Amino acid sequence: MSEAMNMAQPQAHLHEEPYYLPLGDEVAVFRAAYEARLPVLLKGPTGCGKTRFVEHMAWRLYRHDRARSLEVPLITLSCHEDLTATDMVGRYLLQADETVWSDGPLTRAVRTGAICYLDEVVEARKDTTVLIHSLTDHRRLLPIEKTGELLPAHPDFLLVMSYNPGYQSVLKDLKPSTRQRFVSLTFDYPDLEREAAIITHEAGVDAAFAERLATIGAKVRNLREHGFEEGVSTRLLVYTGQLTVKGIEARRAAEIAIVNAVTDDAVVQSAIRDIVDTLLP
Amino acid sequence: MSIELADVEAPLALFAEGMAGRYFHIAPTSEFAGRRLQLGTDQSALVSDTLYLPERLDAPDASAYRVLALQQLGHLEFGTYAFDFAEAQSRLPGLPADTGKQSSARMSDYEYFYQRFPDPTLASRVLHLCERIRIDALMLRHYPGIDRHLRRYHAHLLQRDPPMPVFDLTTALYALDCATLGADAAQLEAMDATGALAGCHAIIAGIRQAPGDVYQAADACIRLLDHLAPLLHQHQAVMPLPFDEELNGPATWMQREARLDDWREDLATLDRNLLAIEILEGDEAVAGDAEGLQDGELRPEDIHLAALQQERDTLARRVDMERSAIRDALGKNYPNARSFRYDEWDYLTHSYRRRWCRLFEQRLEPDANEDLHALQALMRRHRPRVQKQLELIKPLGYQRVYRVADGDELDFNAVIQARQDRLAGQSPDERVYSRRERVQRDVCAAFLVDLSASTDDPVNPVPPVYGPEDDDDELPDVGHTSPHAPADEPPPRRIIDVQRDAMLIMSAALEGIGDSYGIYGFSGYGHDCVEYFVAKEPHERFSRATLAAIAGMKPKRSTRMGPAIRHGARKLIDSGCAMKVLIIISDGFPQDSDYGPQRGDHEYGLQDTARALREAQEKGVETFCITVDRSGHDYLRRMCPDARYLVIEDVEDLPEALTKVYRTLTG
Repeated sequence: MSEAMNMAQPQAHLHEEPYYLPLGDEVAVFRAAYEARLPVLLKGPTGCGKTRFVEHMAWRLYRHDRARSLEVPLITLSCHEDLTATDMVGRYLLQADETVWSDGPLTRAVRTGAICYLDEVVEARKDTTVLIHSLTDHRRLLPIEKTGELLPAHPDFLLVMSYNPGYQSVLKDLKPSTRQRFVSLTFDYPDLEREAAIITHEAGVDAAFAERLATIGAKVRNLREHGFEEGVSTRLLVYTGQLTVKGIEARRAAEIAIVNAVTDDAVVQSAIRDIVDTLLP
Repeated sequence: MSIELADVEAPLALFAEGMAGRYFHIAPTSEFAGRRLQLGTDQSALVSDTLYLPERLDAPDASAYRVLALQQLGHLEFGTYAFDFAEAQSRLPGLPADTGKQSSARMSDYEYFYQRFPDPTLASRVLHLCERIRIDALMLRHYPGIDRHLRRYHAHLLQRDPPMPVFDLTTALYALDCATLGADAAQLEAMDATGALAGCHAIIAGIRQAPGDVYQAADACIRLLDHLAPLLHQHQAVMPLPFDEELNGPATWMQREARLDDWREDLATLDRNLLAIEILEGDEAVAGDAEGLQDGELRPEDIHLAALQQERDTLARRVDMERSAIRDALGKNYPNARSFRYDEWDYLTHSYRRRWCRLFEQRLEPDANEDLHALQALMRRHRPRVQKQLELIKPLGYQRVYRVADGDELDFNAVIQARQDRLAGQSPDERVYSRRERVQRDVCAAFLVDLSASTDDPVNPVPPVYGPEDDDDELPDVGHTSPHAPADEPPPRRIIDVQRDAMLIMSAALEGIGDSYGIYGFSGYGHDCVEYFVAKEPHERFSRATLAAIAGMKPKRSTRMGPAIRHGARKLIDSGCAMKVLIIISDGFPQDSDYGPQRGDHEYGLQDTARALREAQEKGVETFCITVDRSGHDYLRRMCPDARYLVIEDVEDLPEALTKVYRTLTG
C-alpha cells in the first residue's frame, strides 16, 4: 500500500486547536482566500510553520467557526519524487478475488469538502500537474481517468500547496502556469522574540532557555549557504527544547536535534557545535 | 600544548561567520601584509575582512582559538570601532584639555583621544586594556558558554606567565594585564610596591560587573591613567614601553575604516542635496527668477550652492586620500571572496606542504563592454549541433517496472500468477503492481578554465613580416600582432576568446540535456593568492548574469593548477552526485611565481598537478585535461594517463572536442 494512500494524519481530525503564533496578516488572508475558494500556495523554508498554519486554519474554518462539519477537515500529502497522480487520485486494489477501486487522498478531499494540503508539491511527478490545474480554475473538477469519472469538487473543498524555493532544485521549480493559479503567502522563520515564544509554548522550556535556542537558530542560519540552505528550523529548536524537558542535557540535546540533523559535513557540524556550545550557559 | 591554526581554520571560519553573520577570512598573523600597520606574530586582530590569529597557540585546547576569534568579533559587535572623539568629549568630563599637540584631520578618533594625555602611547595601552575587559565581560554576558573556555585559556596564560612584583610602570601594566586575565586582585595588590594599583582593581571590577559601551572603557582609561600618573615620570627615566604598536594598532585603523563609511554616506547625502538644488535651480531659471541683481552679483542661492559644492569636493578628496591611506596600511583585501587552504605536493621531499596554498574563491566580474547579443547569437548557432550529440547520452525519461509491491497499475501477469498460486494452495507473491520509474542522470560536471596571462595570445599568431628597417638580430615577440597588420582589421582572436566561446556552447547544450554543471576560471600569483573565479555553480540556472560572467573571463596572471584542481574536486564531491567530472582547459603547463624552488623549473608544478589529479580520481572524480598547447603531449602524458588528456591542434576545434570528451566521460 502506498504511503500516500494513508495520508490522513491523526491531527487532521483537529479536535484541539493547533498552536500557531501569527507573524503577520496570514490568518486574515487565508480566511479571505478560503471564503473566495482561491487556491493557496505557501512558500517558505522547511520547519518554519507552514503545515502548522494550515492545520490551524483548518481548525478555525471547520471547528472553531462551526460553519461546517467534517470528520477529517484536512488531508495532507507529503509529496516525494515517486508520488504519482495515481497515488493522489486512487487505484484499483486486489482484494481477495476481485479488484476494487480505492479513492486516493485528493479524491477523498474533493468528495468530502476537506482542505487538501500538498506539502512540497514540486517534489511530486509532473503528471500530478494535470489534476492540480483542473481543480484550481473555474471548473473545480477532478478527472479520474481509470474510472472515467469527472468529479466536481465539494463546495467546501480547497487546495493548498507548499513549496520551498530555497532548496528545491532548479529542475524542479514550479511552472508559472501552475504558480499563477494560486494566491501566494510567503513564510520565513520568525524573529528571535517570537521564535522564543513558540519554543516556550511548544517545548515547555523557560523563556530564557527558549531565547538561547532561538539565538542559536539565528546564528546557525547565518551558515545557510554551507550545504544546508534551510538553516535550522523552528521545529528542530522545539525538538531540542523538548529533549531537555525530558532530562537530556542541553548540549547533548542540541547535538541530536540540531548539529546532527542539519548537516552531515563534519566541518560544518564542528562549527555548529561550537556555536551551540558558545551560546548555551 | 601547541595548537595550529591550520587545524581549526575551516570550522573556525564557519563559526565566525555564524556568530557575526558575515564571512571573514581566517589567516595567520604572519600573513598580514599591510605596510603602515605592523602586527606581532602572536597578536590577534580583525583587519577589514580578515581575522588574523597566531599561527600556533600555546593553549590547553583548540577552543582557545574560538576565544580569540570571539574577542575580535566582539570589538566589532560591541562598538570598539564606533568610537567617536566628539562624543567622548561630550560624555567624559574627566578628559584632559587639549594639550596643543600636532594633529591632522585624518588621524583616527582614538589618536585624538590619546593626544590629550602626556604619554599617548601609554593612554593607548591602557584604553585597549580597558576595552579587552569590557569586551570579555560583554562576551560572557551574551555568550555564556564561552566562560569556561575563556577561564581555562586565561588560567593557562597566567600559569605560563604568572604575576610579578610591581615596582614601576612597566610592571604595573603587566600586573594590569594579569588582572584582565582574571588574576586575583588581592594577590596583585600584595605584590604592588608602588601602591598605584590600589584604586585600579575597583575600576576594572566596575567594567566587569556592568559592561557598557566604548566610552565606559574610555572613562575607565582616564581614571586608570590618574592612578598610574605617579609612575609616569619614573617610567620615562627608566625604559621605553615595549608596546608602541598599540598607538597605531588595528583598532585605530578599523576605526578609520568605519569612519570612512560615515564620510561616504555624508558624501552621498551632499551629492543628493546638490542634485536636488540643481534640479530646483533649473526650474527657477526657466521662470526667470534672477531679476533685481546687478551684473556679476550672485544670488544667495548661488552662494549657498557654491559653498555646498566646495564642501562636497573637499570631502570627496578627503575620502579618496583616506581610502588610499587605509588600503596602504591594511594591505590587499578580498571583500567578496571566500578563502580556502590546500596542501601542495612537494616531489623533492616526497611530502605535502601542509595548507600551503591559499585559494580565494570569488564571482567573475561581468564585463560591461562585452557585446552579449553576439555571444547569445553564438550560443544559438551552435546549440542544435552540440545538443544533438549530447542527447545521444540522455536516457529515456521513464521506464515501467513490473512486479513491484506498490505501483500505479496492476501487473496482470503478476495478478494471474498470484491467483494461480492461491488456487494451488501456495502463498502468492504480493508484488502485483507495476510503476513508471524515472531514469535520471546523476551527473555533475565542473569546467575549469585556465585564465593565465598567456591566454591573451592570438589563436593563429601572425607570421612576422620583416621590413627593410627590421634589425635581423632582434626577433619580434611571438604571439603579438605584426606591426604591419592593417589597422582596420578586427583584433586577432585570442585563446581566451575560444575558451570562452567553448564554455558558452557547452552551457547551451548542457542546459538542453539537464545535467548540472559549473563553470570556473583560475589564475593567481603565488601560493598565498590562488584565484578561483566562479561563472556558474551547478545549482544555478543559466541566466543573463551567467552569460555576462563568462563574457568576463579575461587573461589574468599565473597557472597554479594544483590548488584549483583540488578546489574543483572538492566542489564536485560536495555536490553529492553519483558521477562527478572535472574538465580542465588550459593553454600550457602549470607555472607560478613560487611553484617550485626555481622559477624556470616546471617539474614541481607538474608533479603537484599530477598529484592533484590523482587525488581527485581517488575520490571518485573523473578528470580530463584539454590543452590548446601543441606541445602539450610533453607534459600532459606525465601528468595523467593517455586516456585522460587531449591536445588540440587547432584551437577552434575546442567546442567540438569538449563535447566529445563530455560524452565519453558521462555517457
